[in-house]
Amino acid sequence: MKLDITETEQANGAVRLLLNGVVNIQTSMALRKQLKPMLSAKQQHVHVDLSGVGFIDSAGLATLVEGLQWSRAAEGRRFVLSGLSDNVRDIFELAKLDTVFEIESQADAA
Amino acid sequence: MADPEHQLSCKLNSTCDCVHVLSSMVEVMGHRVGLSDKQINRMILAVDELFANIAQHGYQGREGTVEMSASRHDDVLSFELRDYAAPLLKDEMLGWPRPDGEKELKPGGLGMHLMRSVMDKIEHEALADGNLWRLIKYLDREQEDEA
Repeated sequence: MKLDITETEQANGAVRLLLNGVVNIQTSMALRKQLKPMLSAKQQHVHVDLSGVGFIDSAGLATLVEGLQWSRAAEGRRFVLSGLSDNVRDIFELAKLDTVFEIESQADAA
Repeated sequence: MADPEHQLSCKLNSTCDCVHVLSSMVEVMGHRVGLSDKQINRMILAVDELFANIAQHGYQGREGTVEMSASRHDDVLSFELRDYAAPLLKDEMLGWPRPDGEKELKPGGLGMHLMRSVMDKIEHEALADGNLWRLIKYLDREQEDEA
């Protein structure tokens, strides 16, 4: 099982990470490695697109929480998630993290 | 004795990148007993979290054997994971509190919270040479929840 991570810079200076695969204890290290430099750079807006993710576990959630904590550490920073499938959203809800993250809906993304 | 059609088992190495094998077993068993896709996804999560906890906290990242069996007896669906790590003290791991907000979020504590949210019962038995973990779901309750 693997996780493909594609990073793109957007016109507004935001960085977008597109994830494809499974975010679990085996793959979350790779995500953390990719995310960490973004969270220590001058970046103000990080967008994580989970539309290619079919499953996430607590290790994956904890990695995303690092991004959330980064965004709360300074004014103006945004850490946005989008593309949650029903199964992934259900796991966020079980963890009671669905109301904690800024999650872009399909309508917002359109 | 469980109906052979309602029993699956496998043996894995705790360090292998093969959680998908467990997930497939859970998925097959979930479909056989008529769970919804949402409930199957939740069972996969619970088994994934338990396997990860055994690998991280039982074997502490070292290689070890994990045997899993999934079975259905009447309205009880259970997933048993057996390890050969040092036997844990009673309530160690099961006693982990739910993290209080995202500031305290640690995979171990959250993983246990997720398992508790998904399963009806989590049992642990310290054996002479390891641990036996049992994740239990009552299917009658499941059907009521889905209704």
